[in-house]
Amino acid sequence: MANPKGMNRYRAVKFASKFSLHLVLILGGLLMIFPLIWMIVSSFKPSLEVISVEFRFFPKIWTLRNYSRVFREVQIGRGYVNSIVVSSAVTAFVLLSATASGYLFAKLRFRGRDLLFFLVLASVMIPPQIIIIPLYILINKFGWIDKYQGLVFPFMMNAFGIFLMRQFMYGIPSDLIEAARIDGATDFRIYFSVIIPLVRSSIAVLGILIFLWTWDELLWPLVVVHGNEMKTLPLIMAHFTQAEQQFPGESLAAATLVIGPILVVYAFFQRHFVRGLSMTGLKG
Amino acid sequence: MLKQNPPALRVEKRRRPLNPFVLVVALSVLIYYTLVGAWPFIYNIWLTFRKTDMITEDKFIGLRNYKYLIGDPVFWKSLWHNFYYLGVMVSVGIITSLVIAALIYRTRGAMRKVYTAMFFAPVVTSMVAIALVWTLLYFPKIGVFARVLSGLFGISTERLTFLQSTTTALLCIMIMDIWRDTGIRTVIFLAGMDEIPDSLYESARIEGASNLRQFFRITIPLLTPQLIFIAAIYSINAIRVYIPVYMMTGSPPGGPANSTMVLTLFMYLSAFYGMRFGYGSATAMVMFVILFGLVLLEIKAFQQKWEY
Repeated sequence: MANPKGMNRYRAVKFASKFSLHLVLILGGLLMIFPLIWMIVSSFKPSLEVISVEFRFFPKIWTLRNYSRVFREVQIGRGYVNSIVVSSAVTAFVLLSATASGYLFAKLRFRGRDLLFFLVLASVMIPPQIIIIPLYILINKFGWIDKYQGLVFPFMMNAFGIFLMRQFMYGIPSDLIEAARIDGATDFRIYFSVIIPLVRSSIAVLGILIFLWTWDELLWPLVVVHGNEMKTLPLIMAHFTQAEQQFPGESLAAATLVIGPILVVYAFFQRHFVRGLSMTGLKG
Repeated sequence: MLKQNPPALRVEKRRRPLNPFVLVVALSVLIYYTLVGAWPFIYNIWLTFRKTDMITEDKFIGLRNYKYLIGDPVFWKSLWHNFYYLGVMVSVGIITSLVIAALIYRTRGAMRKVYTAMFFAPVVTSMVAIALVWTLLYFPKIGVFARVLSGLFGISTERLTFLQSTTTALLCIMIMDIWRDTGIRTVIFLAGMDEIPDSLYESARIEGASNLRQFFRITIPLLTPQLIFIAAIYSINAIRVYIPVYMMTGSPPGGPANSTMVLTLFMYLSAFYGMRFGYGSATAMVMFVILFGLVLLEIKAFQQKWEY
């Protein structure tokens, strides 16, 4: 301790380790965001420049041609409308059904409750892709091929969401509900004016998750959308994957456009976003 | 006498008014999950015993779909790919994000936020879109990755065909998948690390334990719940994976030469391309059994008390 030389050496080692720590993290972080930056920057390159023998990071000529072609020729605008309609509808239905049945299972008593909850719980074990063939037959019977109903119906209720909301609602004191009941409120009334306001932040978390999952859903739209009219964004992207070598610039423009709304959601709900995702991870 | 229920109780039960909220919600849950859960599942089992293309008439063929499945090399290949995917995603995925979390944990303040945001950025994307971007980065011979690898390590660009080579295609897809979710795993681990009391590290330091030793003896054991949670989620995801494979292998998906074929795609292609719906249903049942086994395993792991 009394030796100043040793002290200096100690400081130097400490500085070097701090420095290398930050260096590793900065390099690693840049590596992580490189594909995203490359996507955005290269979406302004002419297609011939995206994949070419001569490599440059920034475009030689900045152009919006990829974007205009994506809107005019692939009709990504229509895909946007479809994706937004389907994702919002699914999110709204899931939130309504999950909160209502969460309240039902957590706070109300009725005969057959455990049996009904078992039915929901069993559905957690059955991801949609396992029953996709019977579901397709069902939707076909309903005449919902190439319709919004067909895209939305299999995702209207979410067993995981019901389970999650039930957990959250256990935390609501029953006295609160009893007090409202004594005041003469019906369960509908209690649900809308007591329960919903209390679980607002959980609703945001679940809503973001559901929106993201639906936004990225590929298999079900592949099965029930046959025409061009009802294509969601993932289906339009799937188009590119079969032709990406001919249309690299357009592919990147489309990818940037698909990711855009997610970034907006993230910007507004950062806290809920991180919380929701660390609760479940992402879907494969 | 004794067998009869006390009459007073019965009357009381009957008098209880029917709650319209319970009726509406319970009934809609019941109807929905019968229609979109129970019925399709049972119907799927029934379909596995049938030969059906949805056009000509169905035929009962007993267990033949399963028999064909056992004899189908592409099925076994897909099954193996799913488990390979599981092994790599869980091991490499956990190790990389654990290391990154340990590094970020040592930083403080604004820089910590910047690093977390950088590693989290790929999460805030769409898998479908980002897989397409990586397909272009993986462009053979003259793509960005090929150029970087040949520039750094002097590998001949002729050999850098990535997704078009049967030996590297699946690996390339897994690298993309690991990259994408690193941020989530890191955030989960970081949250776990923040909860470990500093006093544990201090007493270890006093006893002269090195940083590495502290990491293995304190950090990792105390992160057991997070480790189990992540292993659980990513093993289930690996059995269900299809988006990155579909998006990165073009047409037909699962190529080249089925070297990236996975169960979900195998099922989808047999049913909706091959018009063999019974065969697809049988594949789905196999997936269900695997997932069911995994879930049981995970429930067991979660129920164990992890104390140190």
